[in-house]
Amino acid sequence: MASSLENLETQLELFIENVRQIRIIVSDFQPQGQSVLNQKIQSLVHGLQEVDKLKDQVKDVHVPLEVFDYIDSGRNPQLYTKDCIEKALTKNEQVRGKIDAYRKFKAHLLVELNNSFPNELNKYRAIRGDERPLA
Amino acid sequence: MMMMGDQYRKMEQYSPKSSPRGARSPVVSRQDSTGTLKTTISLGKNPSIVHHGPFYLMKEPPGESELTGATNLMAYYGLEHSYSKFSGKKVKEQLSSFLPNLPGIIDSPGHSDNSSLRSVIDKPPIGGKELLPLTSVQLAGFRLHPGPLPEQYRYVNQAPQKKHKNKHKKHKHKAGESAGGGEVAGSTDIGTDAHEKKHKKQKRHDDDKERKKRKKEKKRKKQKHSPEHTGGGLTPSHHSSQ
Repeated sequence: MASSLENLETQLELFIENVRQIRIIVSDFQPQGQSVLNQKIQSLVHGLQEVDKLKDQVKDVHVPLEVFDYIDSGRNPQLYTKDCIEKALTKNEQVRGKIDAYRKFKAHLLVELNNSFPNELNKYRAIRGDERPLA
Repeated sequence: MMMMGDQYRKMEQYSPKSSPRGARSPVVSRQDSTGTLKTTISLGKNPSIVHHGPFYLMKEPPGESELTGATNLMAYYGLEHSYSKFSGKKVKEQLSSFLPNLPGIIDSPGHSDNSSLRSVIDKPPIGGKELLPLTSVQLAGFRLHPGPLPEQYRYVNQAPQKKHKNKHKKHKHKAGESAGGGEVAGSTDIGTDAHEKKHKKQKRHDDDKERKKRKKEKKRKKQKHSPEHTGGGLTPSHHSSQ
């Protein structure tokens, strides 16, 4: 997968370089430059053909649409990755905190229930198959 | 509302009133008169174990899933490398810092020059046709006149990166002063700076005033002691001139 992406990147870079050279030729056009320009235009078509050939190799690559919004507004797409990581980390910590809180609550509730209803709790724990001593 | 109603109905079904022990409260500690905790095990298509014990609303606890939020998901999915790459470090804001070799101005919004990627999705280009090299007749359409490009098309050749940066900064400065709430750190810094400058200016102004006052007093004393002094006070015109 990495090599196919690299291939695509190389092809796109070659294509962009070709367009840049055409821009230079065209910006101050000299009559003798026509044949070079024609050559460059043909190599543009060739470049497009090469990119088209590579499309099957990158079919499995999925890009989140939100990344396009970052690029369209002239922002670094790595910021999207950064934002996603930060968001995921925050959420992960929140859920972890909730799980810990519930675990503590359960332990505390069992201790308190054991104090108030020791017989019932023993039966309950027997049904649940929980024979560990209460903390 | 329907769901709420259903819930209440279910609650009623399991209420202590409908228990096999009648209306006795389960709070009261007592011996299990039945002797054992009964369990009904039903086999067949849907095997199940139902406890008939002293507990109401007894249900099977949900099965524990292997992966929960209690585990570090970043480590689980092997994203620690990406995490350490981006967390804490400042990633440059501009698109040009991600694609430094790309020629032209790429930091401007895409919709302004109709080059947005979103437009490619919204209006997909015509595809599925074979790409063929141009024939000599088709190439004749690309025959150009000698000479430089007209002025309006020349902007592409310029790379006003520095200019753009300055413009951005200026914009930030203005936004901070006018809005105040947008960029907190920036605006407060600017605010304090401006305040200090003003304060300094005022101080200077005060110093000047004091200096002038001292000068005036010295002059008065001189005038009092000088022979030319006729005894009259300073006229408003004198005062103003000094």
